[in-house]
Amino acid sequence: MAIEAYKHDMLRCTRCSYCKWIPWENFRNTDFIKGCPSVSRYHWHAYSAGGKFNMALSFLEGRIGYSDSFLDVVYKCHMDGSCDVSCKSVQDIEPLQLMQELRIKCVEDGQVIPAHAAVIDGLRKEDNMLGKPRSERGKWAEGLAVKDLTREKAKVLYHAGCQYSYDEELWPVVRDGLTLLKDAGVDVGIMGHAEMCCGGRAYELGYKDDLDKYAARHANIVKASGVETIVTPCAHCYQTMKVNYDKIGKKLGVEILHITEYLDRLIKEGRIKLNKKVPLKVTYHDPCHLGRLAEPWVHWDGKETKVLGQMIVHDPPKKFRRGAGGVYDIPRDIIRNIPGLSFVEMYRIRACGWCCGGGGGVKEAYPDFAIWTARERIREARAVGADAIVSACPSCKQMFQEAIKETGDDVKVLDIIELVQQSV
Amino acid sequence: MSLAEHEYRALEEVVGAEYITRDPVILDTYNQVWGNKLVFGEKFSPRPAAVLLPGSTEEAQAIVKTCNRYGIPFKPFSSGFEITALGIVSERTIMLDLKRMDRILEIDVKNMHAVVEPYVSVHKLQLEAAKYGLYYGVVAAGPSAGVIASACCHAGSGQTNCSAGAIERNVLGVEWVLPTGDVIKLGSAASGDGWFSAEGPGIGLRGVLRGHCGANGGHGIVTKASVKLYPWYGPAELERAGEIPALRAATEVPYNFRTFIVTFPIQDNAFDAMVEIGKAEIAYSCYQIPVPPGGYLGEGNDEMWAFMQQLDPKMMESPGAMVVVVLGANSDREMEYREKYFHMIREKYGGLLIPEMNNPAVQAGLFDASMFSYGSVRHVFRLTTDFFINPCGDATTTDFLKNLHKVARETMEPYWENGSILQVGSAIFHSMYENYSVGAHHEDMYLYDPFDAESLEGTNELIGKTMDTNGKFRRFGVPCLGAGLQFEPVHHTHQNWSPLYDNYDVWLRKIKAALDPNNVGDWGCYVPPVFP
Repeated sequence: MAIEAYKHDMLRCTRCSYCKWIPWENFRNTDFIKGCPSVSRYHWHAYSAGGKFNMALSFLEGRIGYSDSFLDVVYKCHMDGSCDVSCKSVQDIEPLQLMQELRIKCVEDGQVIPAHAAVIDGLRKEDNMLGKPRSERGKWAEGLAVKDLTREKAKVLYHAGCQYSYDEELWPVVRDGLTLLKDAGVDVGIMGHAEMCCGGRAYELGYKDDLDKYAARHANIVKASGVETIVTPCAHCYQTMKVNYDKIGKKLGVEILHITEYLDRLIKEGRIKLNKKVPLKVTYHDPCHLGRLAEPWVHWDGKETKVLGQMIVHDPPKKFRRGAGGVYDIPRDIIRNIPGLSFVEMYRIRACGWCCGGGGGVKEAYPDFAIWTARERIREARAVGADAIVSACPSCKQMFQEAIKETGDDVKVLDIIELVQQSV
Repeated sequence: MSLAEHEYRALEEVVGAEYITRDPVILDTYNQVWGNKLVFGEKFSPRPAAVLLPGSTEEAQAIVKTCNRYGIPFKPFSSGFEITALGIVSERTIMLDLKRMDRILEIDVKNMHAVVEPYVSVHKLQLEAAKYGLYYGVVAAGPSAGVIASACCHAGSGQTNCSAGAIERNVLGVEWVLPTGDVIKLGSAASGDGWFSAEGPGIGLRGVLRGHCGANGGHGIVTKASVKLYPWYGPAELERAGEIPALRAATEVPYNFRTFIVTFPIQDNAFDAMVEIGKAEIAYSCYQIPVPPGGYLGEGNDEMWAFMQQLDPKMMESPGAMVVVVLGANSDREMEYREKYFHMIREKYGGLLIPEMNNPAVQAGLFDASMFSYGSVRHVFRLTTDFFINPCGDATTTDFLKNLHKVARETMEPYWENGSILQVGSAIFHSMYENYSVGAHHEDMYLYDPFDAESLEGTNELIGKTMDTNGKFRRFGVPCLGAGLQFEPVHHTHQNWSPLYDNYDVWLRKIKAALDPNNVGDWGCYVPPVFP
């Protein structure tokens, strides 16, 4: 869908500014009520979702054109979807989809920012978002004695994702994840050096064709390997394979699970036992790509119509994705089942969570803004008295670690995999 | 019309380069708001010459002084959710987005008031006040409405006006950057004795500050205000449930409150019952609003429509006149008295408690909506895109409002029937001020789609009838175009209607001229010193 398809929504944005905050019904502490990092950091209305509706309409009408500030507004955004949840608490319009299409339009017109172009160059050469050599992709798993699915068969494919594959600081997490599965007797394998990027981040940056390409390649992997399930510890890979592949009509046709979902299944089946006490007071940060952005895609092909004179409805009825269908309870269930651990919620949670700062290409292009966003979340974790902030995404862990390096905060940053590993 | 380079630089010097812009990409996000299509014929109103983000009174003052030096019109706003916030006369006008001034400066628990900056929303203040067992009266525009915008700068009313005061009457003092750049404080704050009294010691200009409809940024910038707080009988934080925000609501009505949705056989009975409830001084909230059938707005229009279709057709055909009543009390005995009195009045006027409208879930949802106005934006915008209000009565008698309602309904009915506007049985918002001691606020509203040619045409025709100085609304006073759509250069409301009502514009324009000798406060949503 081109941006023109969202003109209806641009016209109907009322400028209520709800997109700037978490939904009002979810306010709990007035120090933590902002929802959109972009407009919170840069203030101008343009940086909110409502502002982007305005900007897009102005662009369509020829009142403004491309400029540095246009790209600044488009790309200083984590694409985290907080605005989408808040907007849809009062409206039937699609701010996040418009923002996605704006980025696609920019790329199609050659309006790209250098930092992103460099990332995409690396992706196209090496099939990963970090521009690292393809041959080193499987190094993270060295010594783990796991099936190589380029040569062997297994029911489950453990897909590490680019960040886990190349960021050595994160290797203990991704290795622990695989070890947990193996120890539970799961028939699991990896693609090793043949694993490749899911294309999700490229899509988020506006490079639509790269998503198409990697969706097709993953379809080939699934076919060739014969796996029944793909499990990934990366929230973004999970969201891409589950939601975006479906969105573009390229579902993989196998079960796609985030590792938290699979661990939860194994815990419930008694194949993983959480025995050891973990004496920590932790809070849980909902990764955007596991939470609100992971709500299944809803295909709809119909038309807008009117009832009662002027009430706008759809034929057939259209189910809007309002953020409630993400993975929220499973990670919390796992955490609550760990003995000795004390769990405390932050103020902005589940569909209303504050972003870690790692999404949307902000980390690559505007690292200071990414850190600013992460620091805000650390502040919230501290406000509820947590000793550790737990997440389920490599990007979140990396951003929080970067943030505390700057602040000197001694809060622990953990992935849920690490917690489980400590408890078994 | 752009600013000269030296003018822009002078303004930049005040706030710094980070907080001023003349970039069209940014500017075109400050001239698009609901209602524009109706008033300006397109989604865009005039584009400002620049937008600034002042962070303090001192910066606001320095900006205004610069405007006086160079003859630059200015317009301040907070949330920017109306034409009255963003509508400007000239493309030379600069806007002051007060977003950075967002602090609650003080909550004086003992004396029950709070001092706030302009970007403090009503709901933010409500949450903070609740920690101390206090409450700030809700504004029907919704939880995002600015405390200062609604109390000092613009007309507004809310669901708890009966117990928590008419909004403009809650102001206990302000800090005001006049259009000359002088800063004054009103009331006791002027003498440095605290923010407890708007009328002194010190000058008291509440009437000039706000008047009936507010100056909407046309006569300076209110940078601080003290507002009254009232007792809150609920917990500091309500238990709420619901993953989808649109469906999220309190799980139950708190112990010290009761909520009822009363259906009266005819509208006059509803009016009369509300007057008696007011006289009895028993309600925390008492108002009429178009409660959807079954009390269900749905997460979206499709869900709401599906729900409506499965209801008993009688509920759709004859919803009656519904009044929401919330009782609040400090003790069981007090509640017992209030509840007994309320039912006596309800029964006297034939008010029914229809079970579908009074199950615990609907009551809890309506309680939340009454206290915090959560659903208002969803209600008036999602269904059709925009809404409009017939000339509304304000702070006036019930008989007057009964007649106004009858005329409004007669005028609207043909448009319901031809489908130009949403076809609903009742579309009243009616809220008593201070138990009717200073009358009530009444709106007959309608929902339309400005991007549907037939709906827009019908709505324009309907508005034409209500704005006709020789029409049926002539005897009901100057039409206050509800919800912030009054833009003088387009509607000429003051210019056309003032001769019918004591030439009040002469005084209004004199006030403007006295406060703003250089006419730098953008007058689009106020009044010019001389009509162009």
